[in-house]
Amino acid sequence: MATRANSIGSCTDFRMSRRTFTKLTALGTAAALSGIGNVGAYPTKFVDNLIEPASAAPAVPGIDLVKSNCSHCALGCGFLGRVEDGVCTGIEPWVENPINRGAMCSKGTSIAEMLNSETRLKEPMKKVGGKWVKISWNEALDEIANKMKEIKTTYGPDSIMYIGSAKVTNEECYLFRKFAAFNGTNNVDHQARICHSTTVAGMANTWSYGAMTNSWNDMRNSGLIFFCGENAAESHPVSMQHILEAKRRGAKFIVADPRFTKSAALADQYVQFRPGTDIPLILGICHEIIKNDWHNKDFIEKRTYGFEQFKEVVDKYPPEVVEDITWVPADTIRQLAYDWAHPPREGRPACICWAMGATQHTVGTNNIRVFACLSALMGYVGRPGGGCNAFRGHDNVQGATDMCVLSHWLPSYYGLDEGSWKHWIGVWNEHAPITFEEMKAKFAEYNGKLLMHVNGLTVSRWYEGVLDPSVKQPNPVKMVFVWGHSLNSISEMKKMKTALEEVELLVGVDPHATIASSLADRPDGIIILPASTVFEKAGSVSNSARQVQWRNKLVEPLFDSKPDMEIMKELADRLGFGAHFTYDSPEDVLREINRGACVIMMRESPERLKRQQEYCCAFSCEDCQAKSGPVKGEYWGLPWPCWNDEHPGTPLLYRNDIPVSEGGNEFRTRFRGADSTPGNPVSDDGVSMLGAAYGYPEGYDEMNCDGTPGSGWKFELDCDWKDVIAQNKCPSGAGKARFRAWNLPDPVPVHREPIESPRPDLVDKYPTYDDVEDHYRVKCLYKTIQQERKNLVNDYPLILTTGRQVEHMGGGAETRSCHYLVELQPEMYAEINPETAMGLGVKHWDYIWVETLRGRCKVRAYVTERVNDKTVFMPYHWAGWFEGVSYENRWPSGTGELALGDSCNIITVDGYDRSTNMQETKACLCKVYPV
Amino acid sequence: MTTYKFLNVIEKCIDCGGCFAICKDQNKVPEGTARMRVVTINEGKPGEKNIPISCMHCTDPPCVAACPTKALSKREDGIVMTDKSKCIGCGYCGWACPFGAPQYPHDLPENLKKLGLEGIMDKCTLCVQPFVPEEVDREPKPRCALFCATKARLGGDIAEILPVYNEAKVRSTISYQEHV
Repeated sequence: MATRANSIGSCTDFRMSRRTFTKLTALGTAAALSGIGNVGAYPTKFVDNLIEPASAAPAVPGIDLVKSNCSHCALGCGFLGRVEDGVCTGIEPWVENPINRGAMCSKGTSIAEMLNSETRLKEPMKKVGGKWVKISWNEALDEIANKMKEIKTTYGPDSIMYIGSAKVTNEECYLFRKFAAFNGTNNVDHQARICHSTTVAGMANTWSYGAMTNSWNDMRNSGLIFFCGENAAESHPVSMQHILEAKRRGAKFIVADPRFTKSAALADQYVQFRPGTDIPLILGICHEIIKNDWHNKDFIEKRTYGFEQFKEVVDKYPPEVVEDITWVPADTIRQLAYDWAHPPREGRPACICWAMGATQHTVGTNNIRVFACLSALMGYVGRPGGGCNAFRGHDNVQGATDMCVLSHWLPSYYGLDEGSWKHWIGVWNEHAPITFEEMKAKFAEYNGKLLMHVNGLTVSRWYEGVLDPSVKQPNPVKMVFVWGHSLNSISEMKKMKTALEEVELLVGVDPHATIASSLADRPDGIIILPASTVFEKAGSVSNSARQVQWRNKLVEPLFDSKPDMEIMKELADRLGFGAHFTYDSPEDVLREINRGACVIMMRESPERLKRQQEYCCAFSCEDCQAKSGPVKGEYWGLPWPCWNDEHPGTPLLYRNDIPVSEGGNEFRTRFRGADSTPGNPVSDDGVSMLGAAYGYPEGYDEMNCDGTPGSGWKFELDCDWKDVIAQNKCPSGAGKARFRAWNLPDPVPVHREPIESPRPDLVDKYPTYDDVEDHYRVKCLYKTIQQERKNLVNDYPLILTTGRQVEHMGGGAETRSCHYLVELQPEMYAEINPETAMGLGVKHWDYIWVETLRGRCKVRAYVTERVNDKTVFMPYHWAGWFEGVSYENRWPSGTGELALGDSCNIITVDGYDRSTNMQETKACLCKVYPV
Repeated sequence: MTTYKFLNVIEKCIDCGGCFAICKDQNKVPEGTARMRVVTINEGKPGEKNIPISCMHCTDPPCVAACPTKALSKREDGIVMTDKSKCIGCGYCGWACPFGAPQYPHDLPENLKKLGLEGIMDKCTLCVQPFVPEEVDREPKPRCALFCATKARLGGDIAEILPVYNEAKVRSTISYQEHV
């Protein structure tokens, strides 16, 4: 009987000749040898002349090589799970997957180890009298459902917080949002809130959709790749395959970051800037571009709005002013401006890439908006090699965002207004009976408003819903589900720990016990359920490039775990609406999503996805398009919008030099001032928001199925849009992108210092926002605390910023349970500069305290020149210690992670993005001293 | 005639640890020892480089010359193999190797100690032999190269990978800081 220990696969377990294999190892660099458009001998043979579908047919009976995708980051790298006798004994490279061509990083290569990890939660457990006891599934589910009913009756449906997951399938994300709805609340949210919520708000308010515009592979076509707050060598390692290929072809690679990261080491230029000053840096670059008349006036005039107002703001940020704010010399800003406007590789655009470095700020939404403006200034969007590339985090955070496991949306980015609810209720009613009135009756009211139409609590501040009596709902939160979400990636952990100790019931659902089981120091009131990993069930996953891939089931659920979909159904059965969560298969759920997700037109059917997987060898890694076979012309993953069963997908958003039928796209006519009418969208100051389109220079408004102007395209379930697309029109309209977003607190991005700034003079000149009374149901302080802490730098002289390690992912419960990854990164540390270390009398690897106003962490000192003498860096993947004291005894026996450490989010700042409530983990003030 | 070799385009290595982890996974290399690791020089400053290190299966291996018990040998296809039953863990090969490839794992778990593997030299075998030796050699298929995130690590027949390596080294992979 095959086991992980005794079987590592036979030598003939995948069909490949020796010659082919050696060529495969060289794939990334073989492109130049084979000529433009080809990607190396092996794939070319199949890509151009499809002979047979690539199959994982094993040469040895009893061994299956099953196609799946990594569960860590949003690249979605393909791999083959080696399954023998129902056991996954290891993995093999899936070389035909166009995204990664077999490549993976340390996290991905550890999948088999993590899947089979002995520290996984094996059965449901409950904390009773200070001890963990095993309970049966029925017992657990009965107790949870009964408690839910009790809470709803006593306190109202909003007293339950549903913290969902970016690490389950699209189908499960969709059902989780539906689950919260059927439980009568919008208090449902997930990792995207604390990760790229500001990206979505920033991009959507500029371009119309909130997603990455281009793709991982598309960066090969770029003339200049600019990282601003991105460390792909650690957070998105395989993306470096494409970026380094672009570099090899002549592109310039520039990294702007407070630290000299592993990505900076591979860059052509490294620009160090102060955390929290992204906006002035970019505005300074824009200033030079406009001053020298390098901007793309044609694009600006024909397809954008608000340039004049943007220019007025830009005028206030000349390079000399920017130098004082950002640490970046004025001459460097001028040079960056020149490079951005004149990328190498004649004729190719530049692209800007970012992740948490840019998003996690009080001005996060503005950061992203200014990146988009920088791109719009040169018209780089909608072109191969250009665009705005938001590198999303978790494997399915794009999918969870698309399915809107979020407190302010319904799946596929519908709002919470009546029309949107009726749209989804119409879809849900097709599955099992439900009416609008019935759904409405589930929700509570507060201050005269039906909470069905009011944004719910966010994952970044849900604990205020427990602790703050002024929370804008009938009663505080009394019960919380921590369903596939780590808790140490959320800030203000001291407050959160208190909240976890105050709720009546805490339910953790995860393959691991995680700190949902151990962080709270309480004798009872915790139930943890073992969820299956994504490898123990089938379902679709959406990567950052909007590519949807179908994961096959590798093995049956291990131990006594259950897939999340099943757990939801069991609870729904007990709560009286089980029919709505009973589906024959995950494919059926995806078909329901295909039906209703019209705003993004997510019509990738299970059949088409599986067919792409079968014919994967036909897809080129240059543009992810299939060049032969029955899938010819399709783009890998059918990136949304995918308008119907013949549409190839839209790999590059807003690209309008090709028709929609070939993947072309326009800016939606989404931005409508009060005076807009169907057919005539205008800005709040009366400017037409129609933009030049493919085949229609005057543009056109969004439309109904019959082609008349209107918003019907979002609501019509049975329209296949073939007639409209045949006329080369995009159903969502052809509008303008916005330099000026009139609905946002700052219509044009301006600099605002972080809550805790090392420059009191700049706090006066560029203050933060006014306090907000109701920011997703809780009060949010800005100006008050910034003013109070204006001179904090005298006592806390160093800037603290946080980020990633390549070996660990998210909260780290999974990766810190893996032997190999723990060998590479065994302990928590803080990076400090040698000067700082010398000043403190600290040697490398000594223990130090890093302290802020929130508390302190005991960590190893990692003495390195990566950070300058004004900055401290801490990775955030760690938990198990709280202010230097280990709480490992609070885990159920045998479920604790292999490596524990202090959590930096105990000490990060209590600042939140003005639009989305994203936490400001990237800039605050700290002090460091030896233990 | 196939000659297996490794070549590393170190300017593309991002120290992601993929090679380290898949080698461990595939060859069941125990905790505390590794056949494959990445060494970083000039960490944190311009000129930072990552160098994937494993046995390089030298053409004229110093370890083979140094071994007193003839435990080490070079196959016709170039792979340098260890016969663990002959190894006495003397460490001479470790002294001889310019890459520091030979490892002498200590504090092994009981089941591996019982097999007499404590302190016995272990190193890369191009995935032909796992940590616990098997009767039959497997087909050479270095997973580290197949899984390398950025295709920095090349492995296979030298005739095939050398042109690829040369092409990769010639253009744009030398970072800007080096010219300063």
